[in-house]
Amino acid sequence: MRLPPNAILGGVLVAIVIGAALLSAVWTPHPYAEIAVTNKFAPASAEHWLGTDQLGRDLLSQLMKAAGNSMRVAVLAVVIGCVIGTVLGLVAAARGGWTEEVIMRVCDLGFAFPALLFAIMLAAAFGPSLTMVVIAISFINIPTFARVSRAAANQVWRREYVWAARAAGMNSFAISRDHILPNIAAPVIVQATIEFAVAILTEAALSYLGLGAQPPAPSWGRMLSEAQTLMYLAPQLAIWPGLCIFAAVLGFGLLGDGLRDITDPRLAKARTA
Amino acid sequence: MIEVEGLSIRSGAGPILRDVGLTVSPGERVGVVGESGSGKTLLAMSMMGMVPDGLAVSGAIRIDGRDMSGAREAEWRKLRARRMAMIFQEPMAALNPLARVGDTVAEPLIRHLGHSRSAARARALELFEETGISDPERRLSQYPHQLSGGQRQRVLIALALACDPDLLIADEPTTALDAAVALRITDLLVRLSRERDMALMFISHDLAAVSRTTERILVMYGGDIVERGATSEVLRAPAHPYTKGLLAARPSLGAAGRRRLPTIPGTVPPPQELPHGCRFSGRCAVEIARCKTLRPAEVPTDAGSAACHLLTETAPA
Repeated sequence: MRLPPNAILGGVLVAIVIGAALLSAVWTPHPYAEIAVTNKFAPASAEHWLGTDQLGRDLLSQLMKAAGNSMRVAVLAVVIGCVIGTVLGLVAAARGGWTEEVIMRVCDLGFAFPALLFAIMLAAAFGPSLTMVVIAISFINIPTFARVSRAAANQVWRREYVWAARAAGMNSFAISRDHILPNIAAPVIVQATIEFAVAILTEAALSYLGLGAQPPAPSWGRMLSEAQTLMYLAPQLAIWPGLCIFAAVLGFGLLGDGLRDITDPRLAKARTA
Repeated sequence: MIEVEGLSIRSGAGPILRDVGLTVSPGERVGVVGESGSGKTLLAMSMMGMVPDGLAVSGAIRIDGRDMSGAREAEWRKLRARRMAMIFQEPMAALNPLARVGDTVAEPLIRHLGHSRSAARARALELFEETGISDPERRLSQYPHQLSGGQRQRVLIALALACDPDLLIADEPTTALDAAVALRITDLLVRLSRERDMALMFISHDLAAVSRTTERILVMYGGDIVERGATSEVLRAPAHPYTKGLLAARPSLGAAGRRRLPTIPGTVPPPQELPHGCRFSGRCAVEIARCKTLRPAEVPTDAGSAACHLLTETAPA
């Protein structure tokens, strides 16, 4: 099978970001928080590949460490949101009736709630931290996954093999687990990849506003906001974290699109036609 | 063991089943024939307690004398698989494409009979052998797409037999299969029914298949049972014009096969357009004035009984 180009490009970008994030856990060119005021704003060199910042810290090391933080937040937030949302969607589809109605209307309510506002509320109540960012993003992810999984599950419930399973005396929990879940995995995974991109962007935005990663923990968003005042002096300090956010979001977005094309060929055909 | 009395099912559009009554006794083989849209599948579904949402059901379904009308899903679930099981028309669609067929068959054994995983697997292997699945050991861990249509239908039969049901409802089990395979599947069903002393309700539009498999026959049209009786008698001397039409429309080989095949004109009308009297009026070649408005009662015939006004006429009008 030929892979669609968006999946390939997305996959390469994602591989680079995840590779850098994993690598930063065991090795960075320099300790990321090592301050050397005498060497501030150093240009790119063999010693500091991307130069240093206003405190003489190695920029590449910080970007790598920030990739790690960003991935950790996104993975946690998407996994939590995906698990809770998918379970809700499965329950809604299995029970139907007013159970389904209540779950889906509550999800509509969740959709109407802006993510940033929710994160600001959490930060105000419990103090800004990456944990609050994870909670905020997972929470806003729940309705998305509930909707996607319910729609897919409702389709699978009409399949004849589900009737056969019911005729064999299986209850709706066992049917949901053995028959529905495996058959809705594809759209849920695609959605997770796309939500991953959104989570990275949201984390960057919150950290930019000072509601996410707290110093010295590096984050692309916070690096961007600190570099803002130094734009004319050292534009590279803003450009690099900006490029990282761009590459990560684009990578996961393209990968999600590509996966959707692969798992749903009808959609891919409709698009090229 | 299972009795259906006065069962009527309506959708928003109109009636789908009208006042259907039938009994299936332990160990007997009953055939249900009729065109698509005559309500055969819905009848089977309601006997499994699986009437789709949004349909209005009245009448009684008694299992071992107990009325199941208004029974909750959980009560039906206790009976499914152990008292009655069902196999479906499309063996392609009735197996989860992402599950190994061995696991599909083992699941009800674990769930209902409390087998351990390994005991369930061993039992699934026995069932695969009993239903004549080739190379059963290897099949257990295969996926549906690796199996032929006939093998898949055998897997579904194995699944239905897993908990030793007393009644097996087979809804057009051979329609999606080619003729030679279909013949082997019908023979398998008859053999299993005899060996296990299990009642079989065989739903089909194939009269030849029904005559091979069953002792009694019900002919359905437009949600009514129009004729019933001993299979061989009904097929030899049909009383209802619809049964006659079905029999005449059978293709045959040889010299007789050269003639143009008689057909019943038209198709079963959708529920909202069914006539109020005899459902078959409008397509019937011999109908009389009252057929359209007055519902015929079932009257005894040589073979059993049939619902047709002509049978009560002394001289056909």
